[in-house]
Amino acid sequence: MTFFAQFQIWLGAFLVLALFSFLYKDNPFYKLAEHVYAGLSAGYYVGLVWQSVIIQQLVDPMFDDGQWWLIFPGLLGTLMFARFFAKWSWVSRISLAFVMGNTAGVFLISQLHGLILPQTMSTMLSLNPKNGFAATLLALVTVVGVISTLIYFYFSKEHIGVLGGTARVGIWFIMISFGAHFGYTVMARISLLIGQVQFLLFDWGGSIKQIF
Amino acid sequence: MSFWEKVSNIDRRWIYFLVAVSVVFPMLVVIKFPIGITPEAKQLYDAVEALPDSSIVFLTFDYYPSTLAETEPISIAALNQMFRKNMKIITMTTVPLGGPSIAERVTRKLANKYNKVYGIDFVNLGYKANYVAVLKGMGSSIESIYPADNAGTPLKDLPLMSKVRNYNDVKFIFVVADNGIVDYWISIVNAQYGTPVGAGVTAVMAPKMYSFVEAKQLTGLLGGMKGAAEYERLVNHEGTATRGMDAQSMVHLLIIFFVIVGNIGYFATRKSGRSGQV
Amino acid sequence: MKTTLPVIVAFLSGLIMVVGFFLNPEKSFLGNVEEEVLRWGTIVGGFTLLLGVVSLVRVNSRTVSQKKQGWIFNLITLISVFAMAIPSMIPLSSKSAIGSVLYSIIPASWGGLFGTGPDSIYDWMFNYLESPMMATMFAMLAFYIASAAYRAFRARNTEATLLLLTAVLVMLWRIPMGEAFLRLFGDNVPQYINSFVMNGVNMAVQRGIIIGAALGAASMSLRIMLGIERTYMGKG
Repeated sequence: MTFFAQFQIWLGAFLVLALFSFLYKDNPFYKLAEHVYAGLSAGYYVGLVWQSVIIQQLVDPMFDDGQWWLIFPGLLGTLMFARFFAKWSWVSRISLAFVMGNTAGVFLISQLHGLILPQTMSTMLSLNPKNGFAATLLALVTVVGVISTLIYFYFSKEHIGVLGGTARVGIWFIMISFGAHFGYTVMARISLLIGQVQFLLFDWGGSIKQIF
Repeated sequence: MSFWEKVSNIDRRWIYFLVAVSVVFPMLVVIKFPIGITPEAKQLYDAVEALPDSSIVFLTFDYYPSTLAETEPISIAALNQMFRKNMKIITMTTVPLGGPSIAERVTRKLANKYNKVYGIDFVNLGYKANYVAVLKGMGSSIESIYPADNAGTPLKDLPLMSKVRNYNDVKFIFVVADNGIVDYWISIVNAQYGTPVGAGVTAVMAPKMYSFVEAKQLTGLLGGMKGAAEYERLVNHEGTATRGMDAQSMVHLLIIFFVIVGNIGYFATRKSGRSGQV
Repeated sequence: MKTTLPVIVAFLSGLIMVVGFFLNPEKSFLGNVEEEVLRWGTIVGGFTLLLGVVSLVRVNSRTVSQKKQGWIFNLITLISVFAMAIPSMIPLSSKSAIGSVLYSIIPASWGGLFGTGPDSIYDWMFNYLESPMMATMFAMLAFYIASAAYRAFRARNTEATLLLLTAVLVMLWRIPMGEAFLRLFGDNVPQYINSFVMNGVNMAVQRGIIIGAALGAASMSLRIMLGIERTYMGKG
């Protein structure tokens, strides 16, 4: 491993351990790493927007391909920054409205066509016992589960009587689902820790072994 | 203070210490239990395997550096399978913080291993803002959204992209994600353009994805590091996910132990609290 | 005007998307308009990413200039922003006016250090500084979830007990060691957990949540397009 490769790993290890030190107590090393992290994240966005939007989507098409009408979205984007000036902040609403309207239009169709309809159709399962015990049981669980969950989250009517009973069933289903979700969440968090420990043990550890 | 009260009020740093030991120990003393394959992982693997060699596919890097431990092994395993089948891979990301850099680093590393040529065998489109517009826009023309690749090379100068106008020319979309973008790949791309979508997601997101798998909107699912380990086993490439499963096992058992001991302590102190009241 | 114009813009840009769904862009003019509007959407969306950066720089600059407590750390934040941003914006070649001046001063071989490509300063700082730190921030959550599991996850009632039992079962099922343990009770036990817990109860609940959330999102989208919902515009 070259000196620069070693330096990279040691620098990364220092920052990782500086952040982990917060688990013991807040300290200046943690604060240093935290502020560097915040700054680098912001700086990354600048480089990304400069290259992928301003150069690739505005400057190059306008000057190389003659697509001069792109000055309009460029202006719309620049108008976003008007929100930092109190007197002109209303101008940024135009740009925001363009993006929000755009997104709302796509969502209106995609949520109905791409989520509600297919998911509802997939819930219309046959409860015919001729399909076999397992398939019928699964179908029953699915239908009861979907309906009781939807009813549990329906708060426009008081949960009493039949509605209340169905909502009660819904809670049990939801608790099982959230339990599964919790199990998966624990797994997720631990995996992230494993990744960092692998870096410290094998990459940094390997570097230490090589040096000493 | 009774024994159970002391146990219930233990300094949290001892808990952190036990977690750290549970992660480090299995990495030094390797046990390796066999990894079972779930039907959803097999379904995804079979779907990609069934595609004709040299098919054009999308591989998305829709994840932040914070979840690399779970998602990068999935990307690597997928790339191993796709490059082995000589597929033409178009990579892109809807994640602004780090997505393009991760896609570039991971893809080039694997491409060097399989002697693949940029522009002919794979292309990195990079990132463009407003993922809803990106996903919808690529349905009519990829070039309208991405006039150039991540490095700034115009798409018309890349031989691979001359064969791809929009989703109709793509045989499969393999989404690797750590956020809700999978929902939009399904509801916008799969629903409106019919392109099959498979997903490798973080464990936090996996429970939700089962609905899409059952509705056949998603072709296969990998969940978290276990899902990544399953896929590594299927493509016959042992990576960081497989190596991390021992540590995963140890910490899971520790967490279960904490839940049990914590509840015993809770009931014991609650009981002694009640019996103390006359 | 200050509210009416944005409402009209939102309505028109949304309407183009809705109507465009039903039209073939290769055969209709409106389809082409939809394609161009989406392209504009990605350009305008890119500028929103910079809003946070401008805000961060303003806040930190104010703290540094007023020398408030801990201003050194705010200065470090500002230095980090510019250390990442400036090299990424420097031209890669001598074709442009700025590039021709720059590469008359520094060697042309240094060009690879600038921009956002592999081996650039920008890419190096991301891979060796930013990425490990971001991963570590989230890795710390493992410790917090362990502490929460010990201190807070209590089987106080039937529902909580149901949640905890399912969580323990799933945590066992997801690890190779646990899967081997569950097979002691029957070879098909892991398969039953996958089929009836994950693909059964969990799938049903998640589907109910997906349908409910999608109905909410669709109605919110309609409200935004029709100008009923204006909270995204802010005050004034």
